[in-house]
Amino acid sequence: MDGGFAASKFESTVKAQNKGRTLYLASKSPSVPNLNEAFQSDVRPRISPGRGQSQLNVLSVTEELTGSSVIDLYGDEEDEQDEQGDEDEGENQEDEGTDGLASDNPRSFTASPSVSAPAGNISSRDLSHYDRYGFKKHNSHISQEEYHAWWDDYSRYCVRRKRKWQDLLEKSGLVSVNGVPDRFPPRSEKLKRYVRKGIPAEWRGQAWWYFARGQEKLNKNKGVYDKLLAAASERSGKASGRDLEVIERDLHRTFPENIHFQRQPNDTEEPLMIQSLRRVLVAFSVYNPKIGYCQSMNFLAGLLLLFLDEERTFWMLVIITSRYLPGVHNVNLEGVNVDQGVLMLCVKEYLPDFWPKIVPKQHARNNEFLYKLPPITLCTASWFMSCFVGVVPIETTLRIWDCLFYEESHILFKMSLSMLKICEQDIAAARQNNRALRSRTLSKDDEDIEIFQAIQTTPKKLLDPQQIFDRILFKRRFSLNNLNQEEIDRCRKYVTSQRLKLKNYADIMGNRPSANENAKRDIKMGPEFVESALSSEIYGFRRSLTAAHWNNSIKEKVRQIRRK
Amino acid sequence: MLQFKLVLLGDSSVGKSSIVHRFVKDSFDEFRESTIGAAFLSQTVKLGKHDDVTIKFEIWDTAGQERYKSLAPMYYRNANAALIVYDVTQPGSLLKAQSWVEELKHKVGDQDLVICLVGNKLDLCAEDPNARQVDIDDAQAYAQEKHLLFHEVSAKTGVGVAQIFQEMGEKVYEQKTAESAAAAASRPRKAVNVELQRPSTNDSTTCCA
Repeated sequence: MDGGFAASKFESTVKAQNKGRTLYLASKSPSVPNLNEAFQSDVRPRISPGRGQSQLNVLSVTEELTGSSVIDLYGDEEDEQDEQGDEDEGENQEDEGTDGLASDNPRSFTASPSVSAPAGNISSRDLSHYDRYGFKKHNSHISQEEYHAWWDDYSRYCVRRKRKWQDLLEKSGLVSVNGVPDRFPPRSEKLKRYVRKGIPAEWRGQAWWYFARGQEKLNKNKGVYDKLLAAASERSGKASGRDLEVIERDLHRTFPENIHFQRQPNDTEEPLMIQSLRRVLVAFSVYNPKIGYCQSMNFLAGLLLLFLDEERTFWMLVIITSRYLPGVHNVNLEGVNVDQGVLMLCVKEYLPDFWPKIVPKQHARNNEFLYKLPPITLCTASWFMSCFVGVVPIETTLRIWDCLFYEESHILFKMSLSMLKICEQDIAAARQNNRALRSRTLSKDDEDIEIFQAIQTTPKKLLDPQQIFDRILFKRRFSLNNLNQEEIDRCRKYVTSQRLKLKNYADIMGNRPSANENAKRDIKMGPEFVESALSSEIYGFRRSLTAAHWNNSIKEKVRQIRRK
Repeated sequence: MLQFKLVLLGDSSVGKSSIVHRFVKDSFDEFRESTIGAAFLSQTVKLGKHDDVTIKFEIWDTAGQERYKSLAPMYYRNANAALIVYDVTQPGSLLKAQSWVEELKHKVGDQDLVICLVGNKLDLCAEDPNARQVDIDDAQAYAQEKHLLFHEVSAKTGVGVAQIFQEMGEKVYEQKTAESAAAAASRPRKAVNVELQRPSTNDSTTCCA
């Protein structure tokens, strides 16, 4: 498939879309995962037996709802018995009534009515295998039984949490339009706690948009998305053919297991979701040529499309790639290397027992690992690039995204540290259970494989978000919870400058006439090399870059926090 | 058990992940999610040619998009084997494969690195003879010239996949044993070298900085 083909395909969808202009405007959100039927047929009856009949109307109600997607999934009013058990969520003692009305976003959001997914197509399939977002419930890591056992509890938890949210909004004097709030209370410790415990699924799109200040961005860029689409369809040459080609290849490799991304047997057209995804990604590649298209953005946009309309998905993608993950998707991927360097610094600081297992001793010296990233970062890089989409099961991903938009990027580092901690525990547990392993001392190679394997598979089994949220994120005793945004910002700056310094130095060394052009630069980066680069006076100052230097700044930070 | 590090390289959607999954799990999905960063898998191979000795491949499956190339040195650092994949229906992907060969020969410069060039999606040619865009003779000639192993396979049907890994396994094993023997012969007896036991990461034994 060449770029030309991709472009012409894009043109035709834009044309089709222009022909039905009104239709397009009204339905900018083809995205809506109204898998209510699926959801009801499977879970609903178990949550609220005896209310099954009334659910048949839900689909028609959806048409009038605001931009958000998944609707009334839990049955709010029933299940009084679920009230019990809330003490473990620990909110009863919270201060109340301090929440006022947020005024930073006075413009009320005008949502386009959502369009139900063509029910006819979907109902022809066995929907009981799909969750409320259209993802397959079980896979090679999670059995159907495991899924149901977990969902039985977790869906009740979601009902309880939604009720809490409703109370909170009411107390804050916020009304919801057709069941979906368009504004949220101002930032507070309490709200943060609520967000960490999960935003109600049917409000997620709206909440993410609100917390990430999407409307602000959109207001400054009115009409830009449509112009980008027009520009792309005219093939103004801004979108590189190469990007279009890769986008085209990735469209059907984005959530191929999700029902909304699949072509139904009798469909002649592509799924609406795929068409939207193409438009968002192509528009983005025109909008930001520094990034163009980077594999992994298909998953970011794909997930956003399940919760937001196309235009808002586009702006959220802009926000994610610039505010939360600066440089990560750029053509040279330097942002990936920087963030992985930062993550390694964090591991060293917060998971000191795990640290020696992943970074060879000689690379730990002089922070050489910032330049020569350890192999483990090959796995962890994708955690950042796709913000955990596809790394952990969907409900866990969504809980991470809730926090991301409220707490910004340091949450990705915190999650990564938590994940590594769980991996570490898994490895230890596996050894305990395996007598052969316990009695044998593993070679370094075996140990490496053990770690890589755990890092690869452990996250995929994190079906229950509580495993990470309750057991780690809410536990004060884990020092990694001290990590904050300021620290990450500082580390990012530090790693960026260190890498730049080493790169410049390597360039200078490499360009000396005596140096062999084809010399293996990687091998040349020995300890002496790094040492001379980092303590070099070429750059005007001499600095000691021992780990202690960096750690002290963290300790100081922690002290400050404690004082507060 | 001897372990060897193997990397998969090649253009996006030529079927790198599908080949690994065929080899490791003997399964195939028509639509497989794009690989982000890299995926890690391991699998053992029994070498019939060498008294059924079993070796283990530590496999790094990589993302194919051009820009991921900047992460590549991380993948092929200390690799013993590289599988460079192209799609027999996409001539551009062979060019990409050739540039990978150049990069490996250039940057790694390790004479011992076993490289195998693999043309995938053979099943498409069986379905439609016109689908083939890369002539097998051309690819083979190139492989010979560069001293690469060469195979055409189909991850979908499984044809040829097991042979790739079998052949690569034999080759890396033969090299390792030859190397060990040569090292043992050339070294004075008392200097026993521990590193010989460790084919894939020669970094970490050299202790104490």
